[in-house]
Amino acid sequence: MPERVNYWGIPHEWGPPELYVYTIMFLAGFIMLFRFYKQASLWWKVGRPEPRWDKLHIRFWKFIQYAIVQTKVLNERYPGVMHVTIAWAYFIFFLGTALATIHDHFFEFLFGNALFAYKFVLDIFTVVFLVGAGMAIYRRYAQKPKRLTLDPGFTRSLVMVTVIVIGGLLTESFRLAVDQPAWAWSSPAGWIVAQLWIAIGASDTSLINWHLGIWTFHLLTVAGTIITLPVGTLLHGLTGPLNMFFAKLDRPTGELAPIPLTAAGDQVFASKLSDLTWKQLLDGDACTECGRCQDACPAYAAGTPLNPKELILSIRDALRADAAAVIGGNGDTPDSPTLVGDKIKEEVLWSCTTCGACVDVCPVLIEHVDTIVDMRRYLVMEGAIDAELQGALANLGRYGNSFGKSDRMRARWAKGVDPKIKDAGREPVDYLWFVGDYASYSPTLTEITQQTADVFQKADLDFGILYKGENHAGNDVRRVGEEGLFEMLVEKNLKALSRSDFKTIVTTDPHSYNALKHEYASNGNGEWHVLHYSQLLDQLIASGQIKFSKKLGYKVTYHDPCYLGRYNGIYDAPRRVIEATGCEIVEMPRNRDKGLCCGAGGGRIWMEEGEVTERPSESRIHEAVALNGVDIFVVACPKDITMYADAVKTTGQEENIVVKDLIELVHEAM
Amino acid sequence: MTHILVTAKLVPDLVEELEIAESGTALDMTWLRLIINEFDDHAIEQAIILKERSGCEVTVIAPDQEGMDDVLFTAAAKGADRIIKLVGDFEEGVNNHALARTLAASTKEIGPDLILTGVQGNDDFDGSVGPYLAEYLGMTYVGYVAGVTLEGDKAIVHKEYPGGLIAELEVTLPAVLGIQAAEQPPRYVAVSKVRQMMKEASIDEVDVLDLDPSGGLEISSMYLPEAAERAEMLDGDEEEIAARLVEIFKEIGVV
Repeated sequence: MPERVNYWGIPHEWGPPELYVYTIMFLAGFIMLFRFYKQASLWWKVGRPEPRWDKLHIRFWKFIQYAIVQTKVLNERYPGVMHVTIAWAYFIFFLGTALATIHDHFFEFLFGNALFAYKFVLDIFTVVFLVGAGMAIYRRYAQKPKRLTLDPGFTRSLVMVTVIVIGGLLTESFRLAVDQPAWAWSSPAGWIVAQLWIAIGASDTSLINWHLGIWTFHLLTVAGTIITLPVGTLLHGLTGPLNMFFAKLDRPTGELAPIPLTAAGDQVFASKLSDLTWKQLLDGDACTECGRCQDACPAYAAGTPLNPKELILSIRDALRADAAAVIGGNGDTPDSPTLVGDKIKEEVLWSCTTCGACVDVCPVLIEHVDTIVDMRRYLVMEGAIDAELQGALANLGRYGNSFGKSDRMRARWAKGVDPKIKDAGREPVDYLWFVGDYASYSPTLTEITQQTADVFQKADLDFGILYKGENHAGNDVRRVGEEGLFEMLVEKNLKALSRSDFKTIVTTDPHSYNALKHEYASNGNGEWHVLHYSQLLDQLIASGQIKFSKKLGYKVTYHDPCYLGRYNGIYDAPRRVIEATGCEIVEMPRNRDKGLCCGAGGGRIWMEEGEVTERPSESRIHEAVALNGVDIFVVACPKDITMYADAVKTTGQEENIVVKDLIELVHEAM
Repeated sequence: MTHILVTAKLVPDLVEELEIAESGTALDMTWLRLIINEFDDHAIEQAIILKERSGCEVTVIAPDQEGMDDVLFTAAAKGADRIIKLVGDFEEGVNNHALARTLAASTKEIGPDLILTGVQGNDDFDGSVGPYLAEYLGMTYVGYVAGVTLEGDKAIVHKEYPGGLIAELEVTLPAVLGIQAAEQPPRYVAVSKVRQMMKEASIDEVDVLDLDPSGGLEISSMYLPEAAERAEMLDGDEEEIAARLVEIFKEIGVV
């Protein structure tokens, strides 16, 4: 009966092999943990406390989903397969080693069929690993994607993990070449390599000597890899899973945290390392430098100074460079190293559209946008904002809208609407229509806003608006970092809303939708049911309240607004509405959660543009016109009308594509 | 330490449509929204810049008008050390003679080394505040100033003239300067900072019993501009146009 042979061919003259193998491995493990602790302790020594220990069952599930199964890693095919083959192989090798230890010392079970299965699985994963390593070599030296960090540190790691596996395979092959047991087929990879030694006619003595040499080398490379793990690029194997485990669970992605307070109750604005939480510092150490965020970032693609990957790595590098000074200087001396304005430039922070694409694609769940907004909050407190943004914020503070127009003019668009739209502040309505700034004030949108009213009226919807009681919802004010102004706007809107009698809020603006849905509830006064108009239209069509008299028959494409799609997962309702009007949707390559930002979010629409190579909105229009036969670009966000109408002009595509709001299709088909 | 006093006032916000009151001699205050006089905002900014640069003490003084508290707290949030509100019958609006007399009385008590005020305001019917204030205080006045540097008991000021000319003048303090523009645009103050100031800072109130508008204009009638086609475009080359202009001037009797 086949049985597992321990320390085959290892001379016992030096004492029992267990003794020095375990001594070396325990020492390596100890050094590794010590070094890791040294690095990890910086997170809480430098960073501020933040509770992330709640809902442990969900945290464990996240760990399994993202660290073990690696679903996010697998979202991209080539790098996904490349990474999981390497990672899963190592999980199996680790498990195999653990099982062998159990077999040796606690419970013997590796014989007969169990041993065959054990050997077979480990051998297969050796091959699986080699496939992954081959893909990694090809990616790093042939494909060389721009987003990848081609640093020698990564090469060292790849060499180390490959040498370990090849060492194991060779060790096995020498043993099999000497023993040539009847069950050698259960280690197919090892057996194939063994054929080579048999073929060249190596003597048993040579094979046993080679075996000893390679076995020792294998042992030492494993120990060396473990020892260097916390100081090399393999660190992500520890920090990545930790980052997933401690990912935020207390709020949806669409809700930002309020300004944090110190124990003494002072507000913290993030300008230095010590203003960040331990989790934000962990984000830096968890970054694998895969560059997916860089690929997904509209600001990076537009040629702005922002690269989300570099931003997160700046935090990591700052921690490594300045942690000692921060800890030594208690962190708060005037000359303690700064982060914002120094290692992270202001224009980098202002370039972000808060579209959330980086957060969405990050395989280790780094929370870029929250950190960017934290740092913007500091800049706002310092008054370090550009003139255009300053003007917009001053207008928002004074008039409740960014246009700098009188609040009495907010419902001017409704003047021509007949019958007159109810004032939800005066009479009860089923639906309170929160119109939003752009739909209310932008002259180019007046007709669309009026059409929305017309559709609601034709559908016999009992609705009203707040007239001058409505203020900007504050979504992007908050994302600019002007938290005080955001709170003021929320107070004003809550006052108007609390005086109104309604069942549901409906808005055409995804930004208002996001704020009203996620960021007003936490500001007291209960929760409302909030609908985006695409959802309401979808319901009205399903219930038969909206009936269409014709099929439009257009071939269109649909642009997912960030705050509707990625932030709130509403992808299907607008598409169903478009299809109900008899249009055919041709998807752009970047659709749904991969939808490209128009470039206006996060307050970017109020800021000076700065230098760009190609605006995100222009890139989007190019993407749309490349589709076969599509001549309508459908949007479901008032700002998108402005952004894309401009982009169509600047790209000179007026002849090829026209931008339409969802409501225009519905209105036309009714 | 140089003590700078800034005077500020609120003026009609032109985002609202202006309406004439029933009396026909003033704006209808019920529909009026007030905003800080843009030039006074620059005067405050210039004072804060001087404070940051030379360590001055800054006091802002302003009449009690609707919304003035916010303006004063904003000034405090920017760095003003003391904020003073003149409490009296300002709600219906006062002319600049009355305002300047009141400011002069308070200024004598405060005893500043330098007074900054906006060079003009959109409701200046009877001239701007600065020159009157200087006159009542017996101080030097320089208007249209865009840039101030302090050197001991002197101020080096940049005065703007039409046609892009800038003069550098040395003014012995105390003096009144009419600010055209601060060296940088007025800064943004985060709302939470202003709110914080509302909790921490307090506005000193000075009671004003009499307002003396004498010397100002008597408004007999106020009306919105009437649309009319009175413009005549002159065609031709320079010589022809000049000749025709002289003709017209003679016709209407101005030359």
